[in-house]
Amino acid sequence: MTSQTATKGLIFNIQKFSLNDGPGIRTVVFFKGCPLRCQWCANPESQSGRPELMTAAAGTKKITVGTYQTVPEVLTEILKDKAFYDQSGGGVTFSGGEVLAQADFAIALAQAVKGQGIHLACETTGHAPFDVFKAFMPYFDLMYFDCKHWNPQVHLQGTGVTNDLILKNLRQALAANVPLKIRIPIIPDFNYSLDDAKHFGELFQELGVSEVELLPFHQFGLNKYQQLDRPYRLKDTPQLHGEDLLAFQATLAQYQVTAKINSW
Amino acid sequence: MLSNVELKTTDPKHPFGKLTPRMQHYRDKILDAKPYVDAQRAILTTQAYQAHQQEQVDLLRAHVLAHILENMTIYIEPETLLAGNQAQSNRWAPIFPEYSMNWVIDELDQFEKRPGDVFYITEATKTQLREIAPFWKNNTLEDRGYAAFPKASRLFYDLGIIGAAGNITSGDGHIAVDYNNIITKGLKWYETRVLAEKAKLALTDINDQKKLYFYEASLVVIKAVRDFAKRYAQLAETQAKTCSDPAEKQNLLTMAEILHKVPYEPATTFREAVQAVWLTHLILQIESNGHSVSYGRVDQYLNPFYERDLAAGILTADQATELLTNLCLKTLTINKVRSWGHTQFSAGSPLYQNITIGGQTVTGEDAVNPLSYLILNAIAQAHLPQPNLTVRYHKGLSDDFMQACVAVIKEGLGMPAFNNDEIIIPSFMARGVKKADAYNYSAIGCVETAVPGKWGYRCTGMSFINFPRTLLIVMNGGVDPESGEKLLPDYGHFTDMTSYSQLATAWDKSLREMTRQSVIIENSCDLALEQNYPDILCSTLTEDCIGRGKTIKEGGAIYDFISGLQVGIANLADSLAAIKRFVFDEKQLSTTDLWTALQNDFAGPEGETVRQLLLTAPKYGNDDDFVDQLIVDAYAPYIDEIAKYKNTRYGRGPIGGLRYAGTSSISANVGQGHSTLATPDGRHARTPLAEGCSPEHAMDVDGPTAVFKSVSKLNTKEITGGVLLNQKMSPQVLRTPENCEKLIQLIRTFFNALHGYHVQYNIVSKATLLEAQAQPEKHRDLIVRVAGYSAFFVGLSKETQDDIIARTEQAL
Repeated sequence: MTSQTATKGLIFNIQKFSLNDGPGIRTVVFFKGCPLRCQWCANPESQSGRPELMTAAAGTKKITVGTYQTVPEVLTEILKDKAFYDQSGGGVTFSGGEVLAQADFAIALAQAVKGQGIHLACETTGHAPFDVFKAFMPYFDLMYFDCKHWNPQVHLQGTGVTNDLILKNLRQALAANVPLKIRIPIIPDFNYSLDDAKHFGELFQELGVSEVELLPFHQFGLNKYQQLDRPYRLKDTPQLHGEDLLAFQATLAQYQVTAKINSW
Repeated sequence: MLSNVELKTTDPKHPFGKLTPRMQHYRDKILDAKPYVDAQRAILTTQAYQAHQQEQVDLLRAHVLAHILENMTIYIEPETLLAGNQAQSNRWAPIFPEYSMNWVIDELDQFEKRPGDVFYITEATKTQLREIAPFWKNNTLEDRGYAAFPKASRLFYDLGIIGAAGNITSGDGHIAVDYNNIITKGLKWYETRVLAEKAKLALTDINDQKKLYFYEASLVVIKAVRDFAKRYAQLAETQAKTCSDPAEKQNLLTMAEILHKVPYEPATTFREAVQAVWLTHLILQIESNGHSVSYGRVDQYLNPFYERDLAAGILTADQATELLTNLCLKTLTINKVRSWGHTQFSAGSPLYQNITIGGQTVTGEDAVNPLSYLILNAIAQAHLPQPNLTVRYHKGLSDDFMQACVAVIKEGLGMPAFNNDEIIIPSFMARGVKKADAYNYSAIGCVETAVPGKWGYRCTGMSFINFPRTLLIVMNGGVDPESGEKLLPDYGHFTDMTSYSQLATAWDKSLREMTRQSVIIENSCDLALEQNYPDILCSTLTEDCIGRGKTIKEGGAIYDFISGLQVGIANLADSLAAIKRFVFDEKQLSTTDLWTALQNDFAGPEGETVRQLLLTAPKYGNDDDFVDQLIVDAYAPYIDEIAKYKNTRYGRGPIGGLRYAGTSSISANVGQGHSTLATPDGRHARTPLAEGCSPEHAMDVDGPTAVFKSVSKLNTKEITGGVLLNQKMSPQVLRTPENCEKLIQLIRTFFNALHGYHVQYNIVSKATLLEAQAQPEKHRDLIVRVAGYSAFFVGLSKETQDDIIARTEQAL
């Protein structure tokens, strides 16, 4: 389907020694471009599917975010830490942005990574056409699959898309027994109420999901909006901490869903 | 298992257990003690030199030590279970006039006014020191060392390009004696050996006659040590008489009983063994003021005593821990005042008294034992900058023990450091160290390694060569741009160079010359030390001085390899990378523009533009082959050249008698940075150089794995003097047990797969995080890790940073 050397992907960061994106020590490849516009997005520089300018974190210099890279180029960078993956049971995680927005490149890179015997995970919104997702999912030893809201309309308001495709793909991933970790980013005034927790509980019960991860809302992305000169609607929303999610967690437990709080 | 009992206590605030009230009180007192300059040792030394100056030098030196031990003030503090003090009060710093006196007198009025490492001094002390000063005029190691320097070499020393202040103003140090032997056999074993060897001498042979002096000197110091212990025994008995508390009275009587026995007789109990170790360690630091006098493999030699006492029901784990914390606190009471010039190479008045634990047995099994865990607990409880704790890493080190180590690392002491058996042992064996000895190595000071009791002084700690300044001299056609002195041959000025290979060739030839100069300087110091300042006790306790009838400096040790320190590795790497990329490969910058910018310290907008460009060059520490290979190539001439030059003991007995490379710059990177003009890596004039082989501050922006990869490209198996790597870790990263486990895997990878030599973790303090908020450009390497998130700490908003700071303090 794709020729490895001809395909280029738009990548905005390759981050080594990542610790919260799968087992062991990992390198996260951040794909640029996303069909969603989550209001709380902590990587706003990941949203646009084109390279863009951004003010540097320290200073006033403009830097370009996103470069087109070939599979061998990304693979070379990934392989630099192979010794660490081997020792720690770690590997590579594709993140974004949305990996599925560059599915051809992602699959080509996934083939290359798997060809080196490296554990491969991804973090995805699950928002992609059914067939694209179907072709994509077999390459992953682990998928972090976001489930941002149970309600299609609220999902649309918060992210710019409904959860229709997402839930369809979630069902097919579950049916195909892809090792999944479902994550809910808990965002105040979006999905943080105990009523939301109940509905999530019902949804997971129906899907046969018994374990999820909760990611409390954080403001790690705040400065990036300024650096991109872009508005940020949640700039005054306070961060949540692990202890703020205990009631949410308890509510899910009523539906036999064990929620691990993955605090920052 | 004991480890679980000890480490998983129910009090989450004190996972290591707490100091006993007795030791807590002792700790408070020691930390509150003001460091004063103490003239007593200087006065006693002067008296002894005057009384014994006709003696052969070994006997002279023995009588000096004996006179001090016989007459110095001794005391037993109410809190301590171990007796032995270095000066008239805890943390006071004795003066060692035989090594250097000029700076003492010159700086008498400055000690209290220093910007750091302040020492207090009374007017009476000043008077006493001035009174003895005339005796030492032209009569110290420093005077003799200077006199021994060939003139051309002296210039390198005076200009600070080759640092050797520690070698010429202090004793040697950098050694560990064989405490296992001392506590199991007692000093009387050494005495018996000396007497037996002495009896064999044929005094018509002048060589045997020379040995006679050493043997007689040994007998003098062994007796002096025995009498010194008895002084404490008698003091304890005297104090017991007036002690009204029955428990304290009994403690003093026990102490007296112990000190009547050790270290002359073998120890039988754990407490006796600890007392014997402490007193011997202390006396070695009264004999000489060389730093990095180390304890060796404490868990290995003390554990048999611990387990025996435990089984006999005469000691508990808590009591053993209390004694170990007592030893740590006693260790901190030892102090050293250095000249201001030398202080800049060794800031914080550190003594680098190392305790090594873990590692392997001679048969390659994991050597961790119950006492290894107790020592970790004791270090965490005592929470002091001294002693230094090193864990010998090997593949078979258990996760349980690694977790215990990481828990101590999280305390933020920068300890334990790790040394790697997997590279050090093979490297030693390749150099001719016997297998049983190689497996028994310990850390000496901080990163360097040697075999306790069998190795001469200064496995590292010889001279410091300033690599970046050397580069500037090379670029300037052999003339030091700082002083204008012509130091090296002219291989062409940088502004006339047209290719990187021209610079590389000039560097190669010049560095070899610099290396030769460092050898000459080192030999001058060693010559003066050998002829005039033998350490008789230290030599007696070092194999095979007794067998050979020689002091260590004469070739008495079984092994004698030394190394100097090469400073500014990362700055050299980054400088060469910037020159190659921007001047010669891409021609974005002319040689003249770069040279001009360096001379002006990047002044003005033009200078700053040049500097900004230089800062974008590939930087060492990011796993970038371009720059990493440049430093490997630039280091090679040194490694090659230094191996050619034997030390002063070559052919006189020891295996070795050679030199190798080493990078444990301690704080020389600050001192030598101060005399180094702007460098092509974009570093401003007079700012610190990078330390050890760590990347330049804030230039490693690709995380710890990349740093490990860069460091592992260095020719580690040839840099046997130590490859020092400090890594910092944000507490946010180590917040969960899962992430602590990943830190362990990170370390294991560095050691198992990448053959790293050493690593030490500094957990970033709250103060550093606050500084990073204020000066983000200086802390762009501080990482934070959140699921699916890409950025650095400095990229976060102030509020989020505040939140992290508040919560990470809590997590620790």
